[in-house]
Amino acid sequence: MLAMGCSPLAGQSLASKSAGLTPPVQANYMLNCMGCHLRDGSGAAGKVPSVRESLLALSGSAAGRRYLVQVPGASQSPLSDLELAQVLTWMARNLSAQTVPPDFTDFTAAEVAAYRRSPLVNVRQTRARLVEASDFDKSRGPRASATSAQ
Amino acid sequence: MASRSTVIRPRRAWASAALAVAFCVCGPRGWAQLPPEPADVTEQLAVPAGPHWIWVNDVAFFAFPDGKAYLVDGDSGKMLGMLSTGYSFTSVVVPKAGGTIYAPETYFSRGSRGTRTDMVTIYDAAHLQPIGEIEIPPKRASVMPMPGAQALTDDDRFLLIYNFTPAQSVTVVDMRSRKFVGEIETAGCALVYPTGPRSFFSICGDGALLVTTLSDSGELARRARTASFIDVLKDPISEKGVRSRDTWLFASFEGVLHPLRATAAGVEAEPSWPLFTKPELAQHWRTGGLQHLAVHPGSGRLYAIVHQGGPETHKDLGDQVWVYDFVSHRRVQTITTRNKVGSIQVSQDSQPLLFACSLESNRLEIYDANSGKYLRTVEALGQTPTVLVLP
Amino acid sequence: MPSPIDTLVERMARGLARRVSRRSFLGSVGALLFSSTGVPLLPVARGEQPTAAKPDQAVDPGDPQTCEYWRHCAIDGFLCGCCGGSAHSCPPGTEQSAVTWVGTCHNPADGHDYIISYNDCCGKSECGRCLCNRNEDDKPLYMPFKSNDYNWCAGSKVGISYHCSTARVVGVAK
Repeated sequence: MLAMGCSPLAGQSLASKSAGLTPPVQANYMLNCMGCHLRDGSGAAGKVPSVRESLLALSGSAAGRRYLVQVPGASQSPLSDLELAQVLTWMARNLSAQTVPPDFTDFTAAEVAAYRRSPLVNVRQTRARLVEASDFDKSRGPRASATSAQ
Repeated sequence: MASRSTVIRPRRAWASAALAVAFCVCGPRGWAQLPPEPADVTEQLAVPAGPHWIWVNDVAFFAFPDGKAYLVDGDSGKMLGMLSTGYSFTSVVVPKAGGTIYAPETYFSRGSRGTRTDMVTIYDAAHLQPIGEIEIPPKRASVMPMPGAQALTDDDRFLLIYNFTPAQSVTVVDMRSRKFVGEIETAGCALVYPTGPRSFFSICGDGALLVTTLSDSGELARRARTASFIDVLKDPISEKGVRSRDTWLFASFEGVLHPLRATAAGVEAEPSWPLFTKPELAQHWRTGGLQHLAVHPGSGRLYAIVHQGGPETHKDLGDQVWVYDFVSHRRVQTITTRNKVGSIQVSQDSQPLLFACSLESNRLEIYDANSGKYLRTVEALGQTPTVLVLP
Repeated sequence: MPSPIDTLVERMARGLARRVSRRSFLGSVGALLFSSTGVPLLPVARGEQPTAAKPDQAVDPGDPQTCEYWRHCAIDGFLCGCCGGSAHSCPPGTEQSAVTWVGTCHNPADGHDYIISYNDCCGKSECGRCLCNRNEDDKPLYMPFKSNDYNWCAGSKVGISYHCSTARVVGVAK
């Protein structure tokens, strides 16, 4: 590991060049979710579902929120209940294509703990059923109001 | 279509003439004469396979489209034949009845690109030629080869293939009717470990098992998760389990042996036991390699490739095979290999051979599995030999 | 002279243990392949410099064309830096698989643990150069988000034709 000679950046770090530590919640998303769901949550068609619509769609109901915790990628992750709650909240607030509605409720550690102990087996069908059943209007957001039109 | 191999010696015209003259002049008593050999002779294998035969699967990491499986006679050290098995090849699967060999395969229409087709190819075991193909979803997991990536149910009726896209599922193929049956979602869980004629388990990311039961015709009947039985963050089990009768044996990264027994209800975790004593752990002994366990149920012996190293060396090669009595849990023998190895297999007969190879050399080493005595080496078997499978 | 165990412990403590044998493997198989076909072992001189910038040694030490490069702490495959790409870019004619697994590696120059995305480059045969496998904090196949044993080109648009692996910095864990 030889230095290539004097550098004007000597004394700095790669970290400071890239604007410091990644915030822990975002780092947790990167390490546990981003590999498949990608930086913007769009996933890979036919292989990994996009979360850009479904997070808000499913967060509006208890069954949907339970799904988001129980889906194996979430429930089986090494994150603590609090960390998982924070990551899910971050994802919904930062990766959604639509504006986050004012009545969106952040996930809590207690909520995650309650759902988490039974990871889902029948994932694909459950997701399809819940997304279909959600009131979420993809083009306009959860409330059919003109102001949310994109 | 290969003719019997011959050694071709270039002959000069004068040598041919001299020979012809000698033949005419001297006759049969004075000279040994080779009779002409028949053309178009192709060897054929005995069926069933010999007890000391072994399949050496080659993922051909430097020629990914050209996976192979080499069949070797462990007693003579001779190569008996091979199969050409396509892209990112994992392993052959051999039904107990003999007569056929199955290989889940992938092909691209242009070799390394183009349209992908996955199939189960059926080979005739005597002629090592394809006799059938069953197309399957082009999702077969492209992974470092492991026996858990594909397996037959216990009655050899259904072939199970682990898929990864990265969505996780299992393809079920009816090998009796030679038809694709269906694909079963196994979200969050990987690989296939058969436990009966219509059941298997997969290992889940939280240390639980997903037990899947099939209907008699191979469709999904039931899926159920067990409780988590290991701490996957502290000491995960490796996926490289071996089976002795109704019990699967998995070694954890820190050398804890976890027996998982198939029951009528599902799978039960039996009490675990350590492969290494406390002093040995302090000296950083651990298992390593790609196929680091082998088992001989008849004698109750479990073989493990070991080396000394930190946790990040859990895939490293070793030049020692430690042998345990898996009933008493005691180590009974140490076998030192000539070279570092990463894959082992033991024949299941009463005079078993221990086969050993590694990704990093294309030689197969053969030892007496009871005495540990080195017997022979078979050289030049493919490029990057991976898992060893008994026919 | 330190005993083998002392050396081993020291290497573990420094977090630099790696699979030496992988690198020597490349040499031995390379000799097997190339000498029999007459293809030269050394790279043919190129008229242009690679487009990827050389790392700034003060903050990004080491040679990305070696297995010991700090970012390769859990890589498995051929290093794209040896194949016409770099630690973060794909060689010409290949496509980066966005789907992959993400780990962390320690940068000895600045003491930080960086978040490394091991994106594969896909779409043609394997590069065949600079094979490297290290497994710091690697986990089995049933924890895919921490496993380097998958061919992550599976998640790419062009499919499982695996060519080489990058080690892209995406964040700083600590």
